[in-house]
Amino acid sequence: MRILVPVKRVIDYAIKIRVDPTKGAQGVQLANVKMSMNPFCEIAVEEAIRLKEAGGKAKMKDTEVVAVSIGPKQCSETIRTALAMGADRGIHIETKGDVRGDYIDMQPWGIANLLKGVVEKEDGVDLVILGKQSIDSDCGQTGPLLAGFLNAPQATFAAKVDRDDDGSFTVERETDAGTETIKLNPTSSPAVITCDLRLNTPRYPTMPNIMKAKKKPVQTISLEDMVKELGLNLDDVLAPKNEVVEVYEPPPRKEGEMVESVEELLGKLKEKRLVA
Amino acid sequence: MLQKFHQAGRLAKGNRLINEVGPWSCRRSSSLLQLQMHQKMMANCHWQHNRHHSQNSTNGIRGPTSTDLAYFRSVLSRPDRSILTNLSSSQRATPDEESQNKLARYNQDWTSQYHGDSTLVLRPQGTSEVSHILRYCHDNFIGVVPQGGNTGLCGGATPLRDEIILSLEDMKTIYNIDMHSGILTCDAGSILQNLHEYANDHGYLFPLDIGAKGTCQIGGNVSTNAGGQYFFRFGGLHGTVMGLEVVLPDGSVMHLNMEIDKDSGTIKQGSTHRKDNTGYDLKHLFIGAEGTLGIVTKVAMACPALPTSKNATILVCDSYTNVLKVLQTAKDELGEILSAMELMDYNTLQLVQEHGFGDSGSRLLKDMLQSDPTTQHSEVDRPLFLLVETQGSNSDHDASKMDSFLTHLFERDIINNGFLAQDNKQMAEMWNIRESCNPSVARAGCVYKFDVSIPIEDYMDVAWEVERKLLTARNSFHPTVCVWGHIADGNAHINIVTPGKFGKDSVLTKDIEATVYESVMRRNGSISAEHGLGQSKNDYLSHIKEKSVLDMMTKMKALFDPHGIMNPGKFLPRKKI
Repeated sequence: MRILVPVKRVIDYAIKIRVDPTKGAQGVQLANVKMSMNPFCEIAVEEAIRLKEAGGKAKMKDTEVVAVSIGPKQCSETIRTALAMGADRGIHIETKGDVRGDYIDMQPWGIANLLKGVVEKEDGVDLVILGKQSIDSDCGQTGPLLAGFLNAPQATFAAKVDRDDDGSFTVERETDAGTETIKLNPTSSPAVITCDLRLNTPRYPTMPNIMKAKKKPVQTISLEDMVKELGLNLDDVLAPKNEVVEVYEPPPRKEGEMVESVEELLGKLKEKRLVA
Repeated sequence: MLQKFHQAGRLAKGNRLINEVGPWSCRRSSSLLQLQMHQKMMANCHWQHNRHHSQNSTNGIRGPTSTDLAYFRSVLSRPDRSILTNLSSSQRATPDEESQNKLARYNQDWTSQYHGDSTLVLRPQGTSEVSHILRYCHDNFIGVVPQGGNTGLCGGATPLRDEIILSLEDMKTIYNIDMHSGILTCDAGSILQNLHEYANDHGYLFPLDIGAKGTCQIGGNVSTNAGGQYFFRFGGLHGTVMGLEVVLPDGSVMHLNMEIDKDSGTIKQGSTHRKDNTGYDLKHLFIGAEGTLGIVTKVAMACPALPTSKNATILVCDSYTNVLKVLQTAKDELGEILSAMELMDYNTLQLVQEHGFGDSGSRLLKDMLQSDPTTQHSEVDRPLFLLVETQGSNSDHDASKMDSFLTHLFERDIINNGFLAQDNKQMAEMWNIRESCNPSVARAGCVYKFDVSIPIEDYMDVAWEVERKLLTARNSFHPTVCVWGHIADGNAHINIVTPGKFGKDSVLTKDIEATVYESVMRRNGSISAEHGLGQSKNDYLSHIKEKSVLDMMTKMKALFDPHGIMNPGKFLPRKKI
C-alpha cells in the first residue's frame, strides 16, 4: 500500500500573529517567526504511520508512507519531521524565496493541481491523507478539490479510520448532526481522507527515529520543473483564485469593569441600557 | 549502650551535634537516661517547627485592635475593598463566619503547613496607602506581614501570631516597557504570568519563570530572590532587577534607580538605567530580604529580546554519570543557546503520571516511562530524565546545533532515548510535565520538602543516601524520595513523600531533616538554595553564618526597622526572650 501525506509548513499555532499595517494584504509577518508543521497535517502523518503499523501487524503487503510538501527551502525540515515520525521518504516541491507559502501566493487550487500530478507520477497510491485545513488560511479546500480532480472517493473530517481486508477504508466522520460512517472503495483512484482533531494524538519523534530520518531519501524538485513535467501552466498554478483584500489584527479586547456589589451591577446595566 | 554522636560539617559546634539516623533504631531499647539526653539534644536543635498561636505580644509588637481598624477605614480610599477583618467594629458587632473564611486563604500558606491568626488583612490601592499603613504601624508597634501571591514554601508570608497581613494584590498595574532598553516597569502586585504575556506582546521575554507563575507576584519574587528555570541563562534577580520603589517601615518611600512624576505618580519614562554607579546600591538589600526591611511597591526589570527560536528535548539516561556527560555536552555543543536544563527522576515522574494534571503530555509521559522496563532493583538503576531547552534568534542555527548535540549523545550511547519537540505545543507539554512535579507530589501524600544546593557531581548521591537511610530506619512509613531540579545550577529539590498519608509526622520530620541536612552539610552544600528562610529555616541561620556576618545582618535590620514591625520572627533567627 502506498500512502501519500501532503504536509504544510505554517506559522506555529501557539505564536501570536503580527500584522504590519503598512504592508496591506501582505501584512502577516513571516520573517523570523517560528514555523512548524500544520497541526492537522501532523495528525494525518500519525494516522498514515498507524495504518502502516497496523498493516505490518496484519502481515499485509509492506506499506510505504510518502510525505509531500510544497514551499520554500525550509519545508525540507517539515518533511524531516514527518520522516522522524515514521514516514519512509519525502518529496519537496521547492518554491522560490519570494513565493509566499500561506494563502497569498499558493492557494488550494494550485496545490491540489500539483498534488494530482504527484499522485499520477507516483503510480500505485492507495490513499491520500491530509489535514482537514491549514491554520493559516483555514480554507479546507485542498482535500475536496484534489478528490474532485482525481475523481476519487473522499471522506472529510475523519475521526476514525480503519483499513479493511479488501483494501477499502471505513471512515467515521464528525458532523453537526452526529457521526457518519462512510466506506471508501478506491478502485481506479486513491481514496482521499482529511483528518480532524480527534482522530489521534501525534507521536513525538524519538531519538532513534530522528537519526534514521536523516538517511531517508527526500527528492527535491523546483516548482518550475515540476509544473513543466506535469504539463501544467505555472501562472495557472501560482495565480491566486482569490484575492486577499485586507488583513488586520482583531481589535484588542476591552477590559471588563469590576463591580463591588449587586446594586452597582444593576446600576451599570441600566446605564448601558441593557436592562430596563 | 552509648549512642553514637556524629559531627557533621559546619554544624559541629559546641553541643549542637547531629545524630545519624542509624543509631536511632536502637533508641527504643536504650535506657531512660539516654532517651532523656537524646530528647534534650533534639530540643536544642532549632529545626523544630514552632507554631505560635498565642495572642500575646513579644518584643513589644502587637496585633491590631478595633481602634486601629477605625484609623485604617479613615485613611484608605476604598475601605470596603481594602479591609478584610474579623475584628468587631462599629459596623459589625461580632465577626461573622464570612469574614473568617475570607481571611483563611491569607492566613494559610501554600503547603498548608503554616497557619497564622491574623485578624486584619489590608489591600492598599497604591503606594501612598502602603506608606500611611506602615507609618501608623511603625508608630504603634503593630506587626506587619507583607504578602504577594502567597506561594512561598517557607511560611515567610504567613503571620506567626496576629500581625496585620498587607497584601499587594490590588497594586497590579503594568506601566510600560521601553522599546530600546527593554526595561519593564510595573507594580509589585503584578502576577508573573501577566508580566510574561505583556513582555511577549512587545517582543520581549520576562527573564524570570517559575512554576507558580499563574499566582505569584513580582514583589514577592523580588523579596525572595526567586530562582526558577531560567536562572542559568539570564542570571538571578540581582542581575535583572534594575530599579525598585520601596516603602520603609517608618512609611517613607524610597526610589532606587527610578523616578516618579510628582503630579501623576507614575514612573518617569527613561528614569531607570541599566548602568548607574552612584552610591551604595541599596536595591540589592531588598532583593531577597523577605519583607523584613520594607515593602517593595514597584519594580523595573531588564528584559531580553524574545527569542524567535525555541527548541526543547527530553532525554532519558540510565545513569547519573551519563546525566553529567549530557550537561557537559550541552554546554559544549549548545553553548550560548542553552537556556534551561531540568532533571526529573523516575519516582517523581511515576507520581506525575498517577496524579498529574489533565491529559496533555500523558502520551509523552507514557512513552518516557516506557523507555526503561520496570526491572529496577536499586535506586541507581532507575532512569533519569532531562528537559533541555534552547533559545536563540536564528532557527536554522539553533536547529543545526540541536542536531549535532543530539547526534553526539546518541552516537556515544550517552542517552537511551530522546524526544524532540516539533512545535510550541509539544514544548509546552514537556514543560507541563516538569511543572507538574511539585503539585503531583503534593497530591500523593504529605511532603517533606527540601531545596538544597549541592555540588553537581553529588546531586543524586544525597537523594540515594537519604533514601537508603530512611528505608532502613523507618519501615512503617515507606517514604518515597523524589528529586527534581535545576541541575545546571546545582540546585536539587528533594521531596520526600509518604504516599497515601497526608498528616505530617513530627518524629519522621526530625528523622528526615537530620538525614537530609547532615548529608548536604557534609558536602558543604546550602540548605536553602532558592526557597529562602521564612519561618521554616531562619533559626538555622545562627549555625551557618559567621558571627560577624550575622551581627551585621542584625544591625542592618535594626537600622531599617528600629521598631521591628516588618515580618517579625522571620528571615533572621528568632530573638530569644
